[in-house]
Order: sequence, then structure tokens, then C-alpha cells
Amino acid sequence: MTRPSITEVVCYAVILFLVVCAVAPWMLAPGDPLAIDPSAAFQPPSFSHLFGTDESGRDLYTRVVYGAAPSLLIGVAATAIGIALAVVLGTAAGLGPRWLDFGTSRLLEVLFALPGLLLALLFIVVYGPGIATSTIAVGLATAPGYARIIRSQMRAVSTAPYVEAAVVLGRGGWQRFSRTIMPNVGASLFVLVTLGVGQSIVWASSLSYLGLGAKPPTAEWGALLAAGRTYISSFWWLTFFPGLFIVLSAAAATVLGRSWQNRGRRA
Amino acid sequence: MTFAAVHTAGADLDSASRPGGRALRWLITRLAGCLFVLVAAATITFFALRLIPGDPAQAVLGGPGSQASEAALNHAREEYGLNQPLIVQYLLQLGRYATGDLGTSYSLHEPVATVIGQQLGNTLILAITSLAAAWLFALLLAMWSARGGRIGTAIGSGLEIVAAAVPHFWLATVLILLFSSTLGWLPAVNVPGPIGLVLPTITLAVPLAGFLGQVMRESLLDATASPFVQSVRARGESELGVLWRHTLRHAALPAISLSAWALGSLISGAVVVETIFARPGIGRTLLAAVSDRDVPLVSGIVLVVALVYVLMTVLADVMDRLADPRLRVTRR
Amino acid sequence: MSFSLPRRSITRFSLSMVALSLTAIVLAGCAGEPSAGGDSATPVAGGTLTYASGDAEPTCLDPHVGGNYPQALVGTQFVESLVSENAKGQIIPWLATKWTHGSDGLSWTFSLKPNVKFTDGTPFDAAAVKANVEHIQDPATGSSTGYLALAKVKSVTVEDPHTVTFQLSSPDSALLESLTQPWLAMESPTALKRAQAVNCQTPVGTGPFMVKDWKKQDSITLVRNPHYTSPPADAKHSGKAYLNEIVWRFIPDSASRYAALQAGEVDVIDNAQPDTIVAAKKTKALTELNAPRPGASNRIELNSGKAPFNDEKVREAFVKSADVNAGIKSLFFGTAKRSYSALSSVEKLGYSQPSLFSYDPTAANTLLDQAGWTQRDSSGYRVKDGVRLSVVFPVSTNQSIPAEQSLFQQIQATAKKTGFDVQLEPMDLSSWYTALAKDQYNAVSAPYTKVGPDVLRILYDSAGITPAPSGYFANLSQLNDPQLDTLLTQASATTDATTRADLYTKAQKIILGGYYILPLYDQQNHYLLRTNVVGLRALPSVSTPTFYDAWLRR
Repeated sequence: MTRPSITEVVCYAVILFLVVCAVAPWMLAPGDPLAIDPSAAFQPPSFSHLFGTDESGRDLYTRVVYGAAPSLLIGVAATAIGIALAVVLGTAAGLGPRWLDFGTSRLLEVLFALPGLLLALLFIVVYGPGIATSTIAVGLATAPGYARIIRSQMRAVSTAPYVEAAVVLGRGGWQRFSRTIMPNVGASLFVLVTLGVGQSIVWASSLSYLGLGAKPPTAEWGALLAAGRTYISSFWWLTFFPGLFIVLSAAAATVLGRSWQNRGRRA
Repeated sequence: MTFAAVHTAGADLDSASRPGGRALRWLITRLAGCLFVLVAAATITFFALRLIPGDPAQAVLGGPGSQASEAALNHAREEYGLNQPLIVQYLLQLGRYATGDLGTSYSLHEPVATVIGQQLGNTLILAITSLAAAWLFALLLAMWSARGGRIGTAIGSGLEIVAAAVPHFWLATVLILLFSSTLGWLPAVNVPGPIGLVLPTITLAVPLAGFLGQVMRESLLDATASPFVQSVRARGESELGVLWRHTLRHAALPAISLSAWALGSLISGAVVVETIFARPGIGRTLLAAVSDRDVPLVSGIVLVVALVYVLMTVLADVMDRLADPRLRVTRR
Repeated sequence: MSFSLPRRSITRFSLSMVALSLTAIVLAGCAGEPSAGGDSATPVAGGTLTYASGDAEPTCLDPHVGGNYPQALVGTQFVESLVSENAKGQIIPWLATKWTHGSDGLSWTFSLKPNVKFTDGTPFDAAAVKANVEHIQDPATGSSTGYLALAKVKSVTVEDPHTVTFQLSSPDSALLESLTQPWLAMESPTALKRAQAVNCQTPVGTGPFMVKDWKKQDSITLVRNPHYTSPPADAKHSGKAYLNEIVWRFIPDSASRYAALQAGEVDVIDNAQPDTIVAAKKTKALTELNAPRPGASNRIELNSGKAPFNDEKVREAFVKSADVNAGIKSLFFGTAKRSYSALSSVEKLGYSQPSLFSYDPTAANTLLDQAGWTQRDSSGYRVKDGVRLSVVFPVSTNQSIPAEQSLFQQIQATAKKTGFDVQLEPMDLSSWYTALAKDQYNAVSAPYTKVGPDVLRILYDSAGITPAPSGYFANLSQLNDPQLDTLLTQASATTDATTRADLYTKAQKIILGGYYILPLYDQQNHYLLRTNVVGLRALPSVSTPTFYDAWLRR
């Protein structure tokens, strides 16, 4: 295994930091993310409040750190739901008989044709707002995109020479699937996942802007961004820091995925 | 496996192996597929909307907050056929759609077709301009970063990642703050004419450019490593020349096929952008319609958007076939 | 401006106008906070004013249909009511010049202003008034606000072309106040005969402006009414309006709306957010018009119809657990004043009792212990018989501005300390109404705009608990007190002003004393305008802006 590059090291560090924020936020931020202090509202960043305070006097740094868990959960879980759905659909379309491919491809096109935001909106309107519904809604909205790509991958891989070789060598269907097809599809799936995590967090923040996101007082980054936007002209830190963390998460995930893929390419 | 493979494998595989007749059969199959998509979309929307709790008759009379009388509610139910069994309503709606009648909006009390006709154009203009702008940004960034060598690539890559992670509602407000409130160069909200299109377009184009750029970078890397490009380089062609004349075209192909999808996602983005910039359009109308539980309007918009999407897909496929000879031969 | 004077006169005229304007500007600057209404310069006719509203675009411009505040805002410009209210709270003439009522209170006779015409030429007369009342009371119209306001009107008799009598089924002390509202404004009977879709698009009234065109989701264009003759008694001038045209736009996003105002793309905005009000006051180019809405104050209603708020001690404990003042101070930057009344501060008969609503967590804890909620679970919330002290609080994101939603979060945080588990649920308007209709709430904040203290009857009479066919009911605190009902019924029937005031005071004492509500502040209604807009005032009745006296200083 070759030595990791500087970029990769930085990415790993960022991801480690984010993971600690998510699972053990008290280690990085000793305060209470819900502790209000109206007399100290709208304070700019300082030594006592690293990221400043919000409209209720809550310490923004603490809230952003505690916000990692719900935000990353939405990002990862929504992507997982999307990919899971997509794998099922994509496999059916990519590896099944012609008619199944035709039917599923059309179904995918239908899902594509419905605006993602509409699917998310309808889901939330029916089942109420909250982290769980936001996650499922975003997963539903992003699934068709992944499904299409997976289907193409499956199709391409299943007709590739090394799979033909596997057939000639007498390997059974399941073996063909698990040993040759899946690993090859899996690599590009990974890139999708890493791209997807960032996209899902951004989607969830748009839902918060529309008033349909996490329930208050959850410190989810998207909700913080949407709430802070009201005051953006006067108090820049309310949107800057949550936005920074969203970009950091998306960037770290993407860069890492890209570099793993490059390793695979070089190998 | 990369996005290039996505592109070639993603194209329709239903062609037979003779010219002329083959093309016609392909087109007919394609259009039949489109029809299926439209019917399925209408069906899914119909039943999905019925899942929403609440009485549709109330939506006709101004929502649950209005203190409509029983008589008025019954009158509304009669007028809109809401008393019939669900399956009957569904079939009637399909029948109406087949004849081009999109129904009457509950909240606006106007024919859905009129409402959509007024608003769709605005959104399409915004979407197409944004798509073109996104392409422009992505291409410019790709070319600029290729010239810059490793550092350039790293910066370009970084910019793309940041761009793709930016939410529309935040970018819109920052742009207004910068270009309107501070610099005063551009209008804050919608004004008639192209100048009102600038900020909304940039807002939609930047995240999409980030995404397209990342996709193209993928295929660029693949293409640059491929044998024929090596040989071109060996012939002494400059880096930029290699980029422009050979690799870019191949890199662009997967991004082209993604553009049809991108148009669909731009509609989603348009919801937020049209609200913030107070631009009339189908996105804003859709949001209000869902909020008002305006079933005919939501269904109508979904159908029209689906129609635009499938037409774009067919168009993209046709262009693919014309552009890429590899797709014209028989597939296994 | 389109006169043609010889050049020298024009120059001299322009110079004098400039001098006059400069003087006015200096005077206005010296006078401290520039008020939107006071200016000594001569009004100048002409110009187009752009208004940007943050409220939802109406679905119908005819205020008889439905009846919400966005309709009132734009309707104030082109339709007029029989009477209006002045800043002192007195009912003043508008389209009606005099009025009397029968000794039994069952009939009200109005004398109408002569020589008034609708903008389509139809004369305004007693027959027109009758046609309007019938339109509002017709179920096919779908009126809610106007319909409720005329609930006691049995019929309308045309005595002569300029005299009309309302026959009531029972005495209604709120009739005049109701008649000041735009939802009961007079429209042309000829226009009312058209299909409702047409009348929704271009309703016809007697107002200083008329609807020329409505491009949905874009703007409404209003043009000056050249034959206008009927300003209300407290207007600043008579004759035509000064402005040529008003463009009425809808910009739902508050940040964009303010940016457009700053950039000069629009001249007046409503629903201004607290931090932008403060910023605007600091600039010379912008100024504020503050006009709290009439009717109820912004308050949190506690559902006394079910646990835990069916216990008065728990209600009192919740009220004492909420630190509202600190929140209002920090979130509203001084633009909102704390209210201790069920009614808006513009209601003359409002009654306040600040002593009931102080933040007192010690007292709250004692009350909860007394009420039997003595145990706490692992998260710190109180439990009784295995049930947690939960307060389900649906929040309508359409109606509650971000500052208010933050205030609710602060109340949630301080109430947590005494053991309440407040669950804030943001939802869109339709879902919110549905949750209320299904009684899935323990606390809710629902604004109600109406002119006059009769709003107390709508909100707190036990009859208000019975839902309409749509499921909607107005008495969200589910207050069921026969003594209160009697007071409110008597107040609604009496025609004596002193008795009425006394009855309403007694009623408010019961409402406040029972801790059924937690008053926050007035329904905020701040307008921001560019300082070159002069003469804008809000109607003291519904607090909507009227552009009749407004003009644009060049």
C-alpha cells in the first residue's frame, strides 16, 4: 500500500474530527448547545465564543459541533437509502432479462421526471417534519440519480470480457455477481456515495429553509444555515460557520473518494 | 469504471442492426417509452397526493382555515367530482389528460393549462440559461485548471467541490448582498428583461457547474490516460491542443447525457430561486400548490415537467447517436 | 407632470420647488424621527409607486371572497367601507355620512354620501349597499370574514336612494366596527353580477385607485381613479389621489424584500423584520411606519380542553416558566413591546394585567408540585402516573416570523428548567390547520385580526369550540366558562358605551386570570418606506396603508 498523500492525510484528519463531533461532541465542546442567554445574543466571534453566539445567545461553536451528528446522519443515511434503493433497481435493470430492464428503466425515467424536491415535499407533508422524514425524503429524491448510474454500470460490467471469462470458466451466477460484477460496480459506487453525502446535507438544508426540516431546537447545520440567513447582512457568523462545516464534510468525503478511486485506477 | 462508461452504457440498448428501419424502430420504441413514463408519472402523482391528509374540497374553498359552510363544501365536492370512488376519479383524470384538459386549479380557480402556460416559459428560460452558464463555468474552469498543471488541477478541483456543496438559498442571498446591496450593480429582485436573469442564473449555475465539473474531470482523467491521446501527445501536440481537440469532446459526452437530468434538478432549484428573487415561474407555483393542497395544479405541473424531461431525453439520445458513432453499431 | 409653461417660468418654478424641497428635507431632518405622515411641502401629483408585500398573494382580489389580510392590504386602495375609524378610536363617516340605531338596537339606518360613483359608472346608493350585503351573505360567494361579521344582519331595506337600514336578528354592538373593515367594503353591483372568476380578477369599487391589471405571481397594477370623491373623514385632502399608478408586487423572501427597498427597486415594503427596521432607521433614505394590527394580540393559547392544561395550576406554572421579556428584548431589537393583554394595543377597550405574567420559576415549580407533577424522569422532565409533562406546540412557519420562532425556542428552553417538555413542530399552513382541527396541540399561537373587542367573543366564547364543517374552530384555548359567555353576549348586545367597556374589562379579567393565554406582543405590522414617499398613513381601523394622501418627492 503506497503512502497516503498530504491531501489524504488532511482529509482523514477532517473526517476524524467530524466523526468525533458526531459521536462524542462533549469532548470537543464542553458547553450545552441548548443553553440560551438572551442578554448575550448576536455576539461576534471572540475568545469566549469561538464562533460567536446566535439570536438566543447560544454558543455557535457548541451548536455546530453538536450539529454534526444530525447533519452527518442525514447525509449518510439519506445517501444509504438512496444507494440501497438504487442498487435494487439498478441490479434488476442491469442484470435481469430484457423486459425487466425495459420496465425498470422506464420506472427510473418516471422517477427522474418527477422533480426531486416535489417528492421530498410530498413525503414531508404526508408524514410530518423531522430528521427521520427529512432523511427518507432526501433519500427518495436522490435515489433515481444513483439508480440510473448503477444500472448502466451493471449493464456495462455484465457484458465485459472478464465476466464472459467467468462464464466460460463455469462460475455460477452468484459467484459471478459477488466476485466480478459487484467489486467493479462497487468502486464507482463509492465515488457516488462520497459525492452524495455532501449533496444530501445540502438538500436537507434546503428543506430547512422551506420550513420543513429538523425540529427546533436541533442544531442541524442546514437548520442553522437557514435560520442564520435571516440575519446575514448584520451577523455574518451565523451562516458562515455552519456553511463552512457543510462544505468541509462534502469536500472531505469527495476528495477521499476520489483519491481511493485513483488508487484503484493506478493499481 | 467511470462516467464515460456510464454514458455509453446508459444509451438505449433497443436498437436492431439495420440502418433506416432500425432508426425508425428505435424512435417508435422510444416514444412509446415516453408515453409510458407520462402515464406512470400521472398515476404516481395522483395516488401520492391522495395520501396527504385533509379534505380536498376545503382546498377549493381557500384551505382548512376558511370557515366554509357545509353547503359550500358539498357544492365544491359536486363540482370537482370528489364524491366518486378513487379509481373512477383516476380514470376520469387520465381521460381528461388524454384530451389535453388539465383541469381547474383549486386555489387559483383558473384552468391549470392557463396557469402553467403563463409560468412555464419563465422557468424554462431560467433553467436553460442556467444550464448553459453551468456548462460555461465548468468548461472554463476545466481548461484553466488544466493549463495550471498540478496546482491548477488541485485548485480547480477544490473550487468545484465547494461550488457543489453550496445551497441555493444561501448563495442567492449572498449574491444579492454583494451585487445589489453593496455594489449596486444588479437588481435585487426580478425586473423584466435579461438583467433580472443574471443573479438567479448564477445561483443555479454555480452548484451545477461544480457537479458537472467533477463529472468531466473524471472522464478527462480517463481520456487523457487513454492510448490515442498518448499518441497525439507523442506527435508533439500542446497540452491545450490535446485538451481542446481530443479529450474534451469525450469528456463532455457523459456530461451531455447528464444534462437532461440536470434540467430536471434545475426545476427543483428553481423553487427556491424563484421564491428568493420573486421571479414568476413554475417552481414557485408548485410550492404554493403543494402548500395549498391544490391537487389539479400539482398534477398538471408534474405532467408538464415530465413531458419536458422526456422530450429532452429523447433529444439528447438523438444527438448522442448522431455524435457518437460507437452507439450506432449493434450491441450485445 | 404635464404642463407646458414658458421656459423661464419652468426654471423659476423648478428652482422654487427645489428650494421648497430642501427646506422640507432640512425641517424633516431637524424634527428628529421622520414620520411618514408629516411634511410641510406641497404635494406633487404624478409618479408610480411600487409596493412589495411579504404576505401571500391573494387568490382573489374581491375582499368579499374568503377575507384575509393580503386582500385587505390591496383592497384598501380600491374599495371603501361605509365607515372608518380615526386615531382616537371614534367611528367616522366614509361612504356613509350619518347613522342612527333604533332604541331596541335591532335596526341601524345609514345616510349615504351623495354623488359617489363606482369606477364603472354605476352610482353608489342604497340598492348597492343591499346588493353588497347579499353578496357577502350568499354561500356561493364563499365569504368567511365578512360573513361572520354580518352574522346578525337579517336583511337590508332600501328606504330611499341615499338611506339604507340594516335589520338585525339581535343587537350587535360591533356592527359599526365591523363595517370599517375592507372585507365588508362596497363593490359595484353591476360588477358583482359578473362571474366570480372575473370579479376576482378586476373588482370594481369607489376607491382612490382602481385595478387595471393583475399578472399572477408578478404584480397588480392600480391606476388613479379620476372621478374620486369619497375620502374618509380623517383624510388629509380631498379630490383625486396624487399618485398616477401603484405597482403591487409580492416578494415572499424578507431578505430580498429589504434588499429591493434599499436598492430603490421598490418604494414601500411590509412585514419588515426587526433587524432591518433597526438598520433602516439608521439610514437617511428609509423610514418606518409602525401600525400594529387590531384584534387580538400575538399570544400563546393553552389548550384547556385536555391534559395537562386542563389543570389551571399547570397553566399558571407554564406561564410563569416562560421568560418572554428577555427574549423579546434580544430578538426584536426594541421594535416590539411586551403585551399583557388579550387585545391589541390599538384596541381602546383592551385591559392589561402585567402582574400575572412575570417570569417566576420558583412559583412555577411550587405550582407543579402542588398539581401532582412531583417526579422527574432521566431527561429532567416532570412525570405523573407515567406520563410526561409534554406540551405539543405546532408552529406555522407561514405565520410566525423567524424572530418569533426563536422566541418560542427560548420559551421552550426556560420551560424545560421547570420540567416542561415543549415540542415545537414547524409545519406549513395547511398541515397546521389540520393539526388544530384534530385537537393535536397543547399550545398554539394563532393571530386573529378584527376591528373591535368583539374579537373576544369569537376567540373565547364557548360557542367557538364547535368546529365549522371544515374542522376549523377559533376558540383554541377551549375556554368554556358560562360566566364569560354571558359577559360577552351582553357586551355584544349593549349599545351603551360605558356598559360595554365595563363588560369587556370583566371578560378580560377572567381570560387573563385563568391563565388561558400567554400574551407576547401586538401583531407586528411594520412598513418600511423610502423617505421620498410622503403622506403615507395607515388606516386606524385595520392598520392597512392607504396611498390616497401619498405622493413621491422627486
